[in-house]
Order: sequence, then C-alpha cells, then structure tokens
Amino acid sequence: MKRFSYTITDELGIHARPAGLLAKRASEFKSTVSLEANGKQGNAKQILSVMLLAVKQGQTVEFSVEGEDEEQAAAGLLSFMEENL
Amino acid sequence: MGLFSFRKKNVIEVGAPVSGEYVSLKEVTDPTFREEILGKGIAVLPAEGRIYAPCDGTVTTVFPTGHAVAVTSDEGAEILIHVGLDTVKLEGNGFSVRTEAGSRVKRGELLLEADISFIKNAGYESITPVIVCNTSEFSSVEAKTGRKRPGETCLELTK
Repeated sequence: MKRFSYTITDELGIHARPAGLLAKRASEFKSTVSLEANGKQGNAKQILSVMLLAVKQGQTVEFSVEGEDEEQAAAGLLSFMEENL
Repeated sequence: MGLFSFRKKNVIEVGAPVSGEYVSLKEVTDPTFREEILGKGIAVLPAEGRIYAPCDGTVTTVFPTGHAVAVTSDEGAEILIHVGLDTVKLEGNGFSVRTEAGSRVKRGELLLEADISFIKNAGYESITPVIVCNTSEFSSVEAKTGRKRPGETCLELTK
C-alpha cells in the first residue's frame, strides 16, 4: 500500500473536468485507488465518486494505492495532481 | 414501441430529463463534455427549467450549488445531468434543488428547477449535457437527438 496526500491549489477545486481526468488516469492502473477527503471516502476510478467528495481549494485529499503497480500508480497520480489541481 | 417489439433485457432506455432540443455532445463548447471526458451522452437545449429523473433509481449526487445532479439507475447506469456550462460559478443562484442525495426516484420525478433565462442573462450557456459517467460498463451508448418532452428516450445503453 502506498499513501500520499495532496492539497488542492486549483481555485475551483476538483470540479467536473479534473474529476473526469483523474478517474481516467486512475483507471490506467491495476491498483485500487481510494481517496479520502472531507471525512468522506471515494474510489478514484469512478467519476461520480470523485465528484461526491466535493474537494475545494485548500483541502487535502489522502490517496491510498494498493496493487501490483502501486509504485507507478502513486507516482503517476501524484504528478497528475500537481499538473492539474 | 410497436405491437410486436419487445424490450431487450440488456438495453437501458434513459428518459429525457427536460423538454428541449437534444443534440450531439459535439455541439457542446466545453471540451470536458465535447471530448467525452466524463463519458458519452447527449446534450439538450432546454426549453424550460424543470429537470426530471431520467430513470428509476437513486439520486447519488446533488451538487450543493444545484447546477448538477446524478441518478444511478436500478440497472447501474450513472447518469449525470449538468445544467448549463460553467454554472458552478453561479454558486446556486438560479437553481432550486427539489430532491436530495440518497432519495429513491421514479423516472419523471422532479429533481431540480433551473431559471434558464437567469442563467442566460448571467452570461452562461444553458445547454445541458446528460452523461453516462460509467460509459466503460456499456458496449454502446446511443444518442437519440431531436426535440423531446420529458421522459421520451434520449439515450439507449447496451450492456
């Protein structure tokens, strides 16, 4: 299991477009990717689940990545977050 | 549906959530929808602002700003109705939510009311994408364009 956290800097938070892009990116990996924010849990591979977290600017998302490609998945998702959110 | 036709088990019909002209997602200026980043679907130029449940199911998400709502159908299709483009920025103005997350709904039940002229006057496009967020779980998502009243089929999903 790999864990990391990321604090959102985008002023709109995780709105529709980044939620869709994040789900797409997460789905490229075999590992399960769980998110936790605002006391809620979500599945990074499901767009609606990501949107439901309603993460706003300044809030932190905890990522838990588990599976055979967890190293690459965690690294890939962290760079996705840095580039997009 | 004709007298001798029958509903195929693996086809899910999604009802039009609002009356208006249904067009291809390619007509939507926002690339999030046009490029199908949230999934395949259809878009509607709403003739009025009452948004109804597109299917029997459960309201999974109501955005606090009222500009979007998602219903998961009993067959597992996740349908997102996003009223207008960039309307998250209206911060709830022009929208009245008439349901809540977790509610069971029947196709045709009122979900929210949007003030379409308010949205347009505020400088936003009212075009409303209707998206299947879990598109990857279906072998096809067929858009039925044209003028429709609420409840008429606007999408056909095949498992």
